[in-house]
Amino acid sequence: MTTRAELKARVEALITSFEAGRPFDAAARDELIEDLATWQARRIPEYGRLQRRGVWPPALPTDVFRFRRIAAHPEERDLRTFRSSGTTCSERSVHLYCDLGLYDFAARVAARHMLFPDLDRMRLVILAPHEDEARDSSLEYMLARFAEWFATQCTWVWQRGALDLERLTEQLRSAEASGEPVAVLGTSFAFVHAEDGLGDRRFELPPGSRIMQTGGYKGRSREFDSEVLLTAIGARYGIAAPRIIDEFGATELSSQMYSTTLREELDGSVGPRRLWVPPWVRATPVDPDTLEPVDGDTVGILRIDDTANLDSVCCIQTADLARRLHDGIVVLGRAPGAIPRGCSLAADQALGEQ
Amino acid sequence: MTDDASVVRARAAHVLEADALLTSSTIEERARWLAEAASAVAHKAHDRRDALAEATGLSVPMIEWATRTTLGTITEDAMLALARDTSMEIGRASEPISMLSMVLAGNVFTASVRGIVVPLLFGIPVLVKTSSRETMFPSMLRDALRLADSGLGAAMSLVAFPGGDIECEAALIESAEAVSVYGSDETLAAISSRAPDTRLIAHGHGVSVAYCGASALDDANIGNTIDGVSLDICAYDQRGCLSPQIVYVQETPQCSAADFAARLATEGLGPRSRSLPRGPLPMAVGAAQAQWRGMAEVEGALLRGDTYAVAIREALPIRWSPAYRNVTVAAVRDIDEAIEAMLPIGTNLKCVGANSASISEIETRLGSSAALHAYACAIGSMQTPPLDAPADGYPIWHGLFRA
Repeated sequence: MTTRAELKARVEALITSFEAGRPFDAAARDELIEDLATWQARRIPEYGRLQRRGVWPPALPTDVFRFRRIAAHPEERDLRTFRSSGTTCSERSVHLYCDLGLYDFAARVAARHMLFPDLDRMRLVILAPHEDEARDSSLEYMLARFAEWFATQCTWVWQRGALDLERLTEQLRSAEASGEPVAVLGTSFAFVHAEDGLGDRRFELPPGSRIMQTGGYKGRSREFDSEVLLTAIGARYGIAAPRIIDEFGATELSSQMYSTTLREELDGSVGPRRLWVPPWVRATPVDPDTLEPVDGDTVGILRIDDTANLDSVCCIQTADLARRLHDGIVVLGRAPGAIPRGCSLAADQALGEQ
Repeated sequence: MTDDASVVRARAAHVLEADALLTSSTIEERARWLAEAASAVAHKAHDRRDALAEATGLSVPMIEWATRTTLGTITEDAMLALARDTSMEIGRASEPISMLSMVLAGNVFTASVRGIVVPLLFGIPVLVKTSSRETMFPSMLRDALRLADSGLGAAMSLVAFPGGDIECEAALIESAEAVSVYGSDETLAAISSRAPDTRLIAHGHGVSVAYCGASALDDANIGNTIDGVSLDICAYDQRGCLSPQIVYVQETPQCSAADFAARLATEGLGPRSRSLPRGPLPMAVGAAQAQWRGMAEVEGALLRGDTYAVAIREALPIRWSPAYRNVTVAAVRDIDEAIEAMLPIGTNLKCVGANSASISEIETRLGSSAALHAYACAIGSMQTPPLDAPADGYPIWHGLFRA
């Protein structure tokens, strides 16, 4: 009988193997996904009720996290609860953790590889609430860990529900003056609000600087086309497009995906903007009728099998549209009509209340 | 192709000019004209079925079925009967309004037929804003009306512009005495706010359900019940407000809700998917479908076909499906429990399809409910309302006459 400890050790080994630069073993990952699914189906009745089709284990729709407790551990062992933001539905997705070890490990290794591959630590400016102000946000949790792992110094320019434009300006001017590279991290919403509030203030961030933006618009504020926002951010902060990195995460997941641009620039390679999928994750556009993987670069709905989801469900069916591109994927956003949600909504709600 | 406000105004003026000829004609002449036009549209729709399928996202057999069953209701006899009944109900002294503007939705392409034909029958010129998604069928209807009688045909015209174009919407409404709006609650609110003094005939967001009483499940009737319910579900790929989303089943010792669902899948929806295939699934609907189906498995059970699914779950809470042949079967003890389960739907409930033995009781319950305004009809006919079927809780002529 497989135990939780064994499964956790295998997930850690998969991530460690990547971190150590060893060759990727897709078969080992797929076998681990299979074993996780089997173990989880026995412990989580909701998941156990899903019917298997095709060769892969069934994927649990993200909606189920809104209505049911999805956890392989009893309630008394809950350590941390992450909730999705949301305004259109009273129920928010809830992801329960009894152990954040794998979350932290996956987040650190992925961010090191894609977001901070060239600098051990650097100055961080964060356009999001501190985790003390948003205890149930997985994004804010992750950003707080980034501050611990990657920051020489970290400034949260969002406090008490407001984006502090003066503080943001002060931090960026200070970076300009010192020549010390800075990483500006935040939600797409926050960058839109900064665009709206900064007026004619423009910056020339020092070489080595970068920006990470995450989340869509969730129908909550004026929407920028992603290319338009990319251009606007580049012009505003004096950052070249490859150094503006998209992050894709979700409350229901423990791992994150990042755009390949910074990594490719540093490696001297060139490719289209796409999301890198960590090797302990399987991200697959599937056909909405059959739930089988679509062929080639056909658009499908995104299924994500995240082995770091040990104590919930590894195989997740999102409502996002996506297609394959080269060795990565492109997320085309939430299908119109699907229930909007996402990390960046909490930020926008706070801003909208000002 | 979109029209600007000046074009909308010009078309409104044009249909108003035709008013004299329209009102001077007799009801018999108009009934003949409309029936002839409907027949011509049926032929034209058959000839252009592939293009209509492309435009509407429905399969060709579904296009054929939809046009045949809808246009088949536009007969001289049916129209004269409607005119007689209306006259008796409202009195001969009531005058028709001077002009009706209409905003169409795109989910059920033939929904425009009753909406356009009935006012014309009563001598009311009609200016129609087509759905941005579907202009072909209303254009066929307009052309057929003009071909059948160029003078009377001038009393109906079409315009097309993006929803939310304030200037065009104002131009559409300003000459009309009433505006009939098919669409979302947001569309209704937007139009209403632009013309607070114009009479609004609202056809907002709606859903329908079916009720199968115990007698519908006995050996003598189950075949017909399955046949009728599956047709109601498959028609227009369940995209219309008359499409049943939930089938309430009064279980019997011989037939549980799960038994019913299994037969609905294998003997109803399966064969229907071959005779009336589903159209292509839009990706956005597919995303919602994957969520809904998974949720159904978690909360109950799910029977999947290639292009349909039947969820077996509790009647409450309601989990609205994304349509496209995803239906819920819920067990109920009796009509009381079914009506109780419908109450949260409120005025959005448009129609309750019921087996013949239950219709009158359902009608009575609906009639005495303050919360529900739906009408009842027979299973198998939910998507083929007769010309005189009520709309949104009102007679079909509601709003077309001055008080």
